[in-house]
Amino acid sequence: MSLKAWLGIDKIQKLGQIVKEIGGVKAVLKKRYLMDVTRVGTLVGSDKFGNRYYENNEYFVPRNRWVEFPDKVWLDYDASQVPPEWHSWLHHITDDAPSVKPPPTQKFVLDHKENTSIFADQKYIPYSTTRTKVQGWQPGQKPQFD
Amino acid sequence: MHRVGGQLVRGVTKTQQKRALSAAAPPKKVEVFIDDKKVLVDPGMTILQACALVGVDIPRFCYHDRLSIAGNCRMCLVEVEKSVKPVASCAMPVMNGMKVKTNSDFVRKAREGVMEFMLNNHPLDCPICDQGGECDLQDQSVAFGSDRGRLQSRYDGKRAMEDKNIGPLVKTVMTRCIQCTRCVRFANEVAAFPDFGTTGRGQDLQIGTYVEKFFASELSGNIIDICPVGALTSKQYAFTARPWETRKTESVDVMDATGSNIVLSHRTGELLRVIPKINDDINEEWIGDQSRFAVDGLKVQRLLTPMIRGSDGQLKSASWEEALFTVAAKLRETAAEQKAAVVGGLNDVESLVALKDLFNRFNSENVMTEEEFPETSGGSDLRSNYVFNDGIAGVEQADAILLVGTNPRFEAPTLNARIRKSFLYTDVQIGVIGAETELTYEYDYLGASAKAIDDVLAGKGDFAKSLASANTPLIIVGAQALKGEAGAALLGKLQQLADKLSAGKQVKVLNVLQRWAGQTGALDVGYKAGTSSLRKTPIKFLYLLGADEGKVTKANLDPSAFVVYQGHHGDAGAEIADVILPGAAYTEKDGTYVNTEGRSQRAYPAISPPGEARVDWKIIRAVSEVAGKSLPYNDLKEIRQRLNEIAPHLLRFRDLEPSPFVKQALQLAQTSGSVDIDVSPALRELADYYQTNVISRNSRSMAQAKKAAIENKSNPYAEEPIHARL
Repeated sequence: MSLKAWLGIDKIQKLGQIVKEIGGVKAVLKKRYLMDVTRVGTLVGSDKFGNRYYENNEYFVPRNRWVEFPDKVWLDYDASQVPPEWHSWLHHITDDAPSVKPPPTQKFVLDHKENTSIFADQKYIPYSTTRTKVQGWQPGQKPQFD
Repeated sequence: MHRVGGQLVRGVTKTQQKRALSAAAPPKKVEVFIDDKKVLVDPGMTILQACALVGVDIPRFCYHDRLSIAGNCRMCLVEVEKSVKPVASCAMPVMNGMKVKTNSDFVRKAREGVMEFMLNNHPLDCPICDQGGECDLQDQSVAFGSDRGRLQSRYDGKRAMEDKNIGPLVKTVMTRCIQCTRCVRFANEVAAFPDFGTTGRGQDLQIGTYVEKFFASELSGNIIDICPVGALTSKQYAFTARPWETRKTESVDVMDATGSNIVLSHRTGELLRVIPKINDDINEEWIGDQSRFAVDGLKVQRLLTPMIRGSDGQLKSASWEEALFTVAAKLRETAAEQKAAVVGGLNDVESLVALKDLFNRFNSENVMTEEEFPETSGGSDLRSNYVFNDGIAGVEQADAILLVGTNPRFEAPTLNARIRKSFLYTDVQIGVIGAETELTYEYDYLGASAKAIDDVLAGKGDFAKSLASANTPLIIVGAQALKGEAGAALLGKLQQLADKLSAGKQVKVLNVLQRWAGQTGALDVGYKAGTSSLRKTPIKFLYLLGADEGKVTKANLDPSAFVVYQGHHGDAGAEIADVILPGAAYTEKDGTYVNTEGRSQRAYPAISPPGEARVDWKIIRAVSEVAGKSLPYNDLKEIRQRLNEIAPHLLRFRDLEPSPFVKQALQLAQTSGSVDIDVSPALRELADYYQTNVISRNSRSMAQAKKAAIENKSNPYAEEPIHARL
């Protein structure tokens, strides 16, 4: 063990390097605020929603792959904002990132949409398909059985 | 094809017993020993009836109290001393000193044998059978059957029959039939539908109409009740519920003015079916098909929320608060003489009283019924003028009946069944003034015009003579014939005739058969009959309470008139309304109904009103409070107290209150001159019967039955009934 390591100076150096790579103290604090981590890695790719995907194999699996959401979503990020092809890369279902080896596309597959069920105006409300026990009268309606 | 039940044993009806008792000295009683217990019975009684007197219940399938005796199921076998063979107790008259054993080993073995034969030819489909749980065969096979049978169905096979189509109301599963012939006897004796009979013998005996045809009777639903097994069941109720799952509520029927007693079966707030309740004073144990099947109309076209007509002329849903305040504001600002209320024929007395009280608070006496009745010459001032004075059961005592302007077969099917019963078992003479229609009995047709009454009064013609010489004559006049000035004159003529006939007799003779269940109650609490007074002054505020027959239209009112409709169905009344207040149907409220006899009866609610709908008298009470003149009753007990103040007979439930002042009514009546109006009733054939009120107009099964009845008219195999006295 070197003296640096023994004194812990390499940790301080690494911190300094990370701060530098992220782009200053202010950027680090912002990242901590948004993501609760200060990790740096290589940018593997990005998707049409503006999410960026990083990999750093110094960290152990599964912390070696992560996503950084665009600033516009700010704190309202959600796992469902990741499209399925990147989801499989993030979760080590595939080795190759979709930017390197795109998965086959099918014409019947819908575009990815995030889960909006927490929004009152966008959530899906199920409706009953059974007939009600009593049917109401609509103005102008004549007797149905003659 | 031959009729079953030819061996009619007479002397079983209660009427005849009564008449026999009253006519001569009581006959000597016969001494019989039932299980060593001594009992004295009338001669002519059967062993089964004698057993019933000492509380011994004999199992039976084919025997029915109100039908003739067939004696073909053999389930009622008993041991009679000195008789080698077991005896069918339902068909064997008692003899003096007879010793009957109903529970010996010999009897038990005989019953077990009969039951085994019956089950040999009966399918084991109880789990999918609608009669399951209320099946006589199920119950009696548990009580009297063996624990095993000897049927080798691998070799012998199992009897099976093709199902028959007898119309949209009754479902048949003929394999389940045990050939008790109750339905055949009912069809021939009560419903007067002779097409129903048996074909074949033994194993091949079949019940049916031989060629496929509609069971063309207004009482057809009753064969569902009398069928001891699941061969005849209700199409409407098929695969719906089991009897142990349902709750039962006793109620009163509103489809006609007789006020038949019914039981409502319901489960989880849903009405499932209507079955009759025995009441010997009113409906015996029958009800008409409309009473039984029209309840599916209570599930469609209902008014579920209050509605207000917007500035664009469209009715829109609103809250109770908005609706009540709109009505109350109009009620307050309209002058007393410009207000009016019109009530329909299905209302309970509570809501009628509340509405009249509300209008009285606003200095208006302008409350009237849709159904008309003479206003002049006594009119509805004296109760004896508009009720069925001699009572429905009184029909059985009559020896001459004159029907004026009525078709009781369709206006009151259970009453007509009684007239037919009288016709079959006594020599009652019946005369008809009105339409010459099929009434299930023979009658002398006296013409369509009320002019024929003059001849009867003068004693001209055979029927007039038999009416004049009758001990208990009866005149039944339909409420439809009694309207306006001509109706008043007709009523006067009939009062005159009744007075002449009733001299020195116990009966009042004149009986009015109302058409609507709420009409007698409305007249009792002081409503004016008929809407003619509405047309004299321009009305600016009209309150319709279940008035759906279209007697009042916008054209009769001031152009700026404000119309409130309170009721349970969207129909003619709701169509012209500016505000709709959703009320409750008869199955959904505590109600008092006065039938055409003047008998007050209480109905209990089976289910709660749907949606936002409320009980009718409570809505009127709420309107009164918002309008600033609260009515002084807050719960059912208090409004019944108010009923008691107005007319105490309304709370004497089930009692028949006699209506005095017949002489005074005659003094008030206009009796001069001759009345020449056509008194043919509106309901003439079976197809007219099914849809007569707002509930049945919205009923799918009633529409299907009407269609079947119309199609049946072109059936070349439909038979003309033959009316022969028994």
